[in-house]
Amino acid sequence: MSEALIFSIEEFSVHDGPGIRTTVFLKGCPLRCEWCHNPEGQRFENEIVKSQTGCANCGACVTAGGGRLDEKSVDVCPNRLLRMSGEPYTPERLLQRLYRLLPILNEAGGGVTFSGGEPLAQPDFLCECLDLLKGKTHRAVQTSGYCSAEEFRRVLGRSDFFLYDLKLPDPAAHRRYTGADNAPILRNFRTLSGSGTPFITRIPLIPGVTDTEENLAAAARFLRENGVRSVELLPYNRFAGAKYASVGRRYHPGFDENALPRARTALFKNAGIDAKVLWGEHID
Amino acid sequence: MTEHTKKLLEYLQKGDYRKERVRGEIDVSAEARGRSELRRDALLFRVMLENETPGIFPYDLFGFRRSRTDFAFYTDDSGKRNAQWSAGNLTPDYPRALALGMDGLRADLLTKKEADGGAHGEFYAAALETVDAALSYADRYRDFAEANAPEPLFRALCRVPRQKPESFYEACVFLQFIIFTLRCNRNTHLGLGRFDQYMLPFWRADVRKGVPEETLFETLEEFFISQNFDTDLYQGMQLGDNGQSLMLGGYDLDGNDRYNELSDAVMRASLELRLIDPKINLRVGKKTPADRFILGTRMTRQGLGFPQYSNDDVVIPGLIRLGYAPEDAADYTVAACWEFTIPGKGAEIVNIDQMVFPKVVRRELFAHLEESETFEDLLEYVKLGVAYDAGEIVGKRKGVHYPASPYLSVLIEGCAGSGKDVSEYGAKYNNFGAHGVGIANAADSLAAVREVIYEKRECTKRELLQALEKNFEGYGKLRNRLLSCPKMGSDDDRTDGLAQVLLETYAAALNGKPNDAGGVFRAGTGSAHEYYYSARNVGATPDGRKAGEMYGSGFSPSLTGRPTGPLSCIRSFTKFDMTRLVNGGPLSMELHDSVFRDEDGIEKVAGLVTAFIRLGGHQLQLNSVNRDVLLDAQAHPEAHRDLIVRVWGWSGYFVELDRQYQEHILRRTEFLI
Repeated sequence: MSEALIFSIEEFSVHDGPGIRTTVFLKGCPLRCEWCHNPEGQRFENEIVKSQTGCANCGACVTAGGGRLDEKSVDVCPNRLLRMSGEPYTPERLLQRLYRLLPILNEAGGGVTFSGGEPLAQPDFLCECLDLLKGKTHRAVQTSGYCSAEEFRRVLGRSDFFLYDLKLPDPAAHRRYTGADNAPILRNFRTLSGSGTPFITRIPLIPGVTDTEENLAAAARFLRENGVRSVELLPYNRFAGAKYASVGRRYHPGFDENALPRARTALFKNAGIDAKVLWGEHID
Repeated sequence: MTEHTKKLLEYLQKGDYRKERVRGEIDVSAEARGRSELRRDALLFRVMLENETPGIFPYDLFGFRRSRTDFAFYTDDSGKRNAQWSAGNLTPDYPRALALGMDGLRADLLTKKEADGGAHGEFYAAALETVDAALSYADRYRDFAEANAPEPLFRALCRVPRQKPESFYEACVFLQFIIFTLRCNRNTHLGLGRFDQYMLPFWRADVRKGVPEETLFETLEEFFISQNFDTDLYQGMQLGDNGQSLMLGGYDLDGNDRYNELSDAVMRASLELRLIDPKINLRVGKKTPADRFILGTRMTRQGLGFPQYSNDDVVIPGLIRLGYAPEDAADYTVAACWEFTIPGKGAEIVNIDQMVFPKVVRRELFAHLEESETFEDLLEYVKLGVAYDAGEIVGKRKGVHYPASPYLSVLIEGCAGSGKDVSEYGAKYNNFGAHGVGIANAADSLAAVREVIYEKRECTKRELLQALEKNFEGYGKLRNRLLSCPKMGSDDDRTDGLAQVLLETYAAALNGKPNDAGGVFRAGTGSAHEYYYSARNVGATPDGRKAGEMYGSGFSPSLTGRPTGPLSCIRSFTKFDMTRLVNGGPLSMELHDSVFRDEDGIEKVAGLVTAFIRLGGHQLQLNSVNRDVLLDAQAHPEAHRDLIVRVWGWSGYFVELDRQYQEHILRRTEFLI
C-alpha cells in the first residue's frame, strides 16, 4: 500500500473540472515554475508552515524543536500558528475521507480532482486512488504532464478527465523558467489528445514569459497540430508570492510581476482555437 | 434602472434628509392620566401623528416620511414611563388591509364592536381612535400632496388608504402608509411578509390593463428604495437590524409552487439596487428548479448576505407538528430575521429567551465531571442540565406580553375579531420562541472531553477543570490539544451525534410546553446577538474557547475549529430532525468571493444550496466575503461606506457596526483562502 503527503483537500472547488469538485492536493513537484503560487506543493518532504501574523515571539516553538522549527514545535505554539504542511494518507484512508462527500459531488455533476504539486509524480498512489474511485464518481487529474510515457499511460487509462497545463513549447525557455525539460510534457500531451479522453488545456499567462506573441503563437501551433480547438488562459495571479514566507522561503520571480499579462485571443482565433480567458486582470 | 430611480437612489445615499428632522419628545402625561393602558397607547399614536408634518423628498412617489425623530411619551402616577418600543417581530395582515381599505377596516371594527356588546369596549375605543388618527393624517397628507407632491401620488391618495387600491402603484402607496403609521406607533421589526403573493393580483391586473412591465418594475424598485429611508429611526441592535424581511415563493398544501413573475421581479430589483432593505428570503424545497438557486446565488454574490433560504419540506411539517393549522403553516414567513411565523395571525414572541448550550455544558462539567465514571454518565448530567434550563425558560416566562398596541392589533386578524389587543393575546398564534445558542461550541466541548479525558486519558479531570478555571493560563499545550479534537462542521458523526443529543433534549423539553398566552413554547437554533452577549460571562470551555470569546453565529460551526470544508459542514448540519426546531436559525457559511467570479462558479454554489435543501436542512444563509476587503474597511472606513455584510438575521453596513460584530465576521472568515 502506497502513501502520499496531502497538503490540502479542498472540498468545494469550483474551478477544477465539471460540477462541484473536491480537489486533493498531493505534495511534491518536479518542476519549479517561477510563478508557482503554491510553494507548499513543491517539496516531497514534509515541512512546517507558519502563519505570518500573530506571532508573539515567545520562542516556545524553537525551544521545543531544539533550536529550530520541527514537528515538535507545532503543538507548543500558544497562538496555533504552526502546522505540518502535509498529512500522510493511504489511498484507503483518503477514500474514507472522500466517500461521504460523493453523493453531493455526484448530484452536482462533479467528482474528485487530483492536483498538486504534481500528482503524476506519485503514480502508484494516484493510480490506486483512481482505481478505488472507479465507478463511484467522476475522476479528474490536474497536471503539468511531466512524467514518463509509461506512467502517463497508466494514469490516462484511469482518469475520466484531465486539466493539462501547457506553459512554454520552447525547450530552452521551459528549462529556464520551470527548471525542467518539456519533451515529456509535449509527448504526453500528444498521447492525451489522441486518446479520446476529454481534457481542458490551460496556459498560464505570465508577463513577459508565456504571454509573448512568440510563445502563444507556438502554443497555438502546437495545439492545432494535435487537433485541439479550445484553450483556457489563466492570467498571472499577483498574489502568487503570498505563501512563500510561511514555508520560510523567498519569492523572487525573474519577470515583472506588476505588468499586466497579455491574452492575445485574436491569435488563437486566427488559428481556429477558441480561447477563454479565466478570471484575473489582463489585457487582450 | 430608470433615470428617475437613479436620482431617488442618489438622494437616499446622500442622506441629507436626516438633518431636516425635528427633535424632541412630546409629554402627554396630563392627558394620559385616567386612561387605560390601551387608550394611553392610542393617545401616544394620535399625538405623534398630530405633530408629524407632511413632507416629500425629491423624486419620491410614495411620501409618508418621518419629520420627527422622537415619539410622544407619558409618565404614569407611579412615575413610570411608557415602554419606548412597542410590539414587533411580526408581519401585519397586509392582504386584509389591501382588500378592505382603511375605511373598510374601520367599518369592520364598528361591526365587531356592535356584536361585542361592550365586553371589549376599551379595545374597540382605542382601536378606533388610532384608525381615526391614521386616517386624519392620511387626509392631511393628501391635502399637502395636492400642492406639493407629484401628480400621481396625489391622485393615488384620493383613493388610498381610505379605499382599497386599484393598481400596483396605489397598493405600494397604501403599504407605505401602513408601514409609516406602524413605525409612528413604535412597532419594530415588521416584516413585509409574502409580498409576491398579496401584491400579485395588483401586478397582474395592471399587466392586463396594458401597463408596461418597465413601469411596474420602476414602481417596485422605487418602493424598495423607499424602505431604506428613515431606517436609522427604527429600533434595532445596530443600523440595519430593522426586520424588514420579505419572503418569496413557497409551496401550498397541494404542492404547487407559488413563485411567480412578481417574485422574479423582486429578485431582479433587489439584485440591481444592492440595498440592505428589504432583505430577501426564499422559500424552497426538493422540487425547486435549479435556475432559482442560480438566481439566488447571483444575489449572494453581491455580498449583501441574502437571500436566506427556508426549506418548506421541513418548516411546514414542523409548524404543523407544533399545532399550527396546515393552511397557516403553508403560509409561513419569517418574523424579522429567521423566526418562522404566520403573517397577520401570529403575534408571537419569537425571541423570549435562549438556551445557551455551552453554559450548560460548562456548569455540568464543574458539577459532575469528577464523579462521572464514563462519558455516558457525564452526558446524562448534561442532558438533565439542558432539560433544567428549558424548564427554567418555561417557568420564568410567565405573564410576558407585548405592550398594548391597538393600532397594530387592527392589522392582526384575530385581535380585531376578538376585541383583544396583541398584548392580551388576541392573535390566533401566541407562541413563545427561544433561541439555541452556541450548539457547536457545546458539542465540540463534549467531544473534546470524551476524547481527551475518557478515551485517550491524556489529562486528568482535575487538570482540565483547573485549565478551564484559569482560562488556559499556563495550559497552552492542553488548549492546543483540545482545539485539535474533532469539531462540529467536519461531518464527524460522533461529534455531530453529541449536538443531536443536545438538540433533541432541548426540543423535547421545550416544544409544546404551554405558555400562559394560550400558546406553546418552541425551540430554535438562532443566536442573534447572543453569540456575543451570552458568551461574555461564560468562562473557558473544553473546545478551547477562552472565557468570554464569542460563539458561532446561529446554527453554525464555532469560531475556533478549523472546518474541513463547506460540503462536510452542510452534512454536519443536516443530520438532525429540524422539524423539531422551527423557531428557526440558519446555518451561515462564508465563501470567498472568488468562488463567484464566473458563471460556472455561480452554478456550483447553487448546487451547494440544492444539496443542503435535499439533505433536509431547514435554513441556510451564504455569504460572499473577502477578508482582505474587510480588514481594509476596518483600517479605512471612509473608503468602504457602502460595504454590506450579513450580521445575524439581517444585513448592515460593515463600517457602521460595533467592533465586536465586525470581529465576529472577521473570525468567521479566518479559514477561508
